[in-house]
Amino acid sequence: MAILEGKNIIKRFAGLIAVNNVDFHINPNEILGLIGPNGAGKTTLVNVIAGVYAPSQGQIQFKGQTISGEKPYRIGRLGISRTFQVVKPFPGMTVKENAAVGAMFGAGGKKTSAKEAIKKAEEVLAFVGLADQINKHADQLNVPSRKRLEMAKALAMEPDLVLFDEVMAGLNFSEIDQAVELIRKIRENGVTILIIEHVMRAIKNVCDRIFVLHHGEKIADGPVAEVLNDEDVIKAYLGRRYKELTH
Amino acid sequence: MGNKALNNFLICGLIILIVSFFPLVSNNFSIRFGTDILMFAVMASAWNIIGGYTGYASFGNVVFFGIGAYITAILMEKAGLHFGIAYLAAGGAAALFAVLIGLPVLRLRGHYFAIATLGVAEAMKALVQNLDITEGNAGIYLPMLDLPVRHQYYFFFYMMLATLVLTLLVTYLLLNAKLGYSFIAVREDEDAANSVGINTTLSKTFAFALSGFFTGLAGSIYAYQQAFIQPGPAFTVQTTVQMIVMAVFGGMGKLFGPLLGALCIEMISETLSNYFLVAHTLFFGTVVILAIVFTPKGMIDLITQHKFGIAYLLQNIREHRI
Repeated sequence: MAILEGKNIIKRFAGLIAVNNVDFHINPNEILGLIGPNGAGKTTLVNVIAGVYAPSQGQIQFKGQTISGEKPYRIGRLGISRTFQVVKPFPGMTVKENAAVGAMFGAGGKKTSAKEAIKKAEEVLAFVGLADQINKHADQLNVPSRKRLEMAKALAMEPDLVLFDEVMAGLNFSEIDQAVELIRKIRENGVTILIIEHVMRAIKNVCDRIFVLHHGEKIADGPVAEVLNDEDVIKAYLGRRYKELTH
Repeated sequence: MGNKALNNFLICGLIILIVSFFPLVSNNFSIRFGTDILMFAVMASAWNIIGGYTGYASFGNVVFFGIGAYITAILMEKAGLHFGIAYLAAGGAAALFAVLIGLPVLRLRGHYFAIATLGVAEAMKALVQNLDITEGNAGIYLPMLDLPVRHQYYFFFYMMLATLVLTLLVTYLLLNAKLGYSFIAVREDEDAANSVGINTTLSKTFAFALSGFFTGLAGSIYAYQQAFIQPGPAFTVQTTVQMIVMAVFGGMGKLFGPLLGALCIEMISETLSNYFLVAHTLFFGTVVILAIVFTPKGMIDLITQHKFGIAYLLQNIREHRI
């Protein structure tokens, strides 16, 4: 059974339909890639799942429980955590405190005291490779580190499902490969992952399945190789030169 | 508890002890002046909970002060209750009012929140001016404290001191608890706070209620001390401005910032008004502007970071693009 399932999801902003009648599902412990051109509705879909927006129509079920229309903090506590495309650290807090806040209030928050949360934060930060920067203020970090902090905050919440919204944008090749490695390790810990990305190098390497949005509609959903060779996907997103370059 | 925390506790205990001896060796005027400083320290510290830590700049905190004062007056004068009961009820009523008003008003952010709270305080003043139970603009006389004059001064000083210690202690405990982290997370990025599982509405409302509670306690002591309360002085926006200026001057979002701010501002203001009877507000304004320009993080930052050089002041100007 799917861990997350959405049926007939529609999200309208006044006259604009950002997500149009989309069905999706994610299987337990899967890494699902969500791709599509700018403005396709990817981040809107993530925001609908995370509770920032209630869907205009349709229902989302997480582990068999309806979550559409719930507040973001409720969804976070149920076991879905997310990162933001434009990172949102707590700039005035230290890196350690940033991650600790995730541990205090996320899915594992109820049973975690403030002290235990700090300890948990140190573990998670070591896991994402920020062990040597835990006492810096979040606004002193460079871009790759900020992306890692964003992931650490989400992971400290002890989620069953994480939504990674462009955590690799702005990274160079070696940083991308490190991030891919990290995402694999996260999955090995039993976490299910939805990843929005434009970096095809990452999508190809890490995803089990790809889901493509275009103008708010689903145009493809299937195994990586199949979707990347799909004519519609190439036309709408990848471009013809992509095929020439990669073959 | 670590060594550093223990040291800090000992230092605080010593300071409280020294301050406790202050009335015993001072004249009545000085005790009264000290009580005023303590009162503003309570109110600025209470403002710090919502404005400094949670990031919601309330421009209407005087409403809690006024409610605390009026609840005390009504309970003591009309219901004949003991001050102790009135004191606690004053804090409770102010906190309850903060919850009721906070639920709609805390949905607003930034300037909108500031303006809405300002409006709430003005509306409450108008209400109190027109209600029978508050006796309108005529005001209410409270029963006098039945003690020799010298002991009255002691009583109010020590009540304010105890309230200040309580305010700071609760704030300190909160800062090390989950709730305190949630306040700061809301200030730093409310959307991110919500997404990591913080019930931001609950956190903000709690911060506002705490802020209201302590301000209400200060209002209660003030009313008993004055033995007479009127809507104008009880709800004047000037009091809110003083709380904010003191908190900012001393250091917003720092435990002892507002206390230091209250001390400095009251001293400066008192000294200036001694030397310049008419123009002291002009000089006072200049001092505040200079302080904000050169030390936007507050006096407490200057002291705790040991940065007394000119370089620190210039760095602040660069960072804040003046």
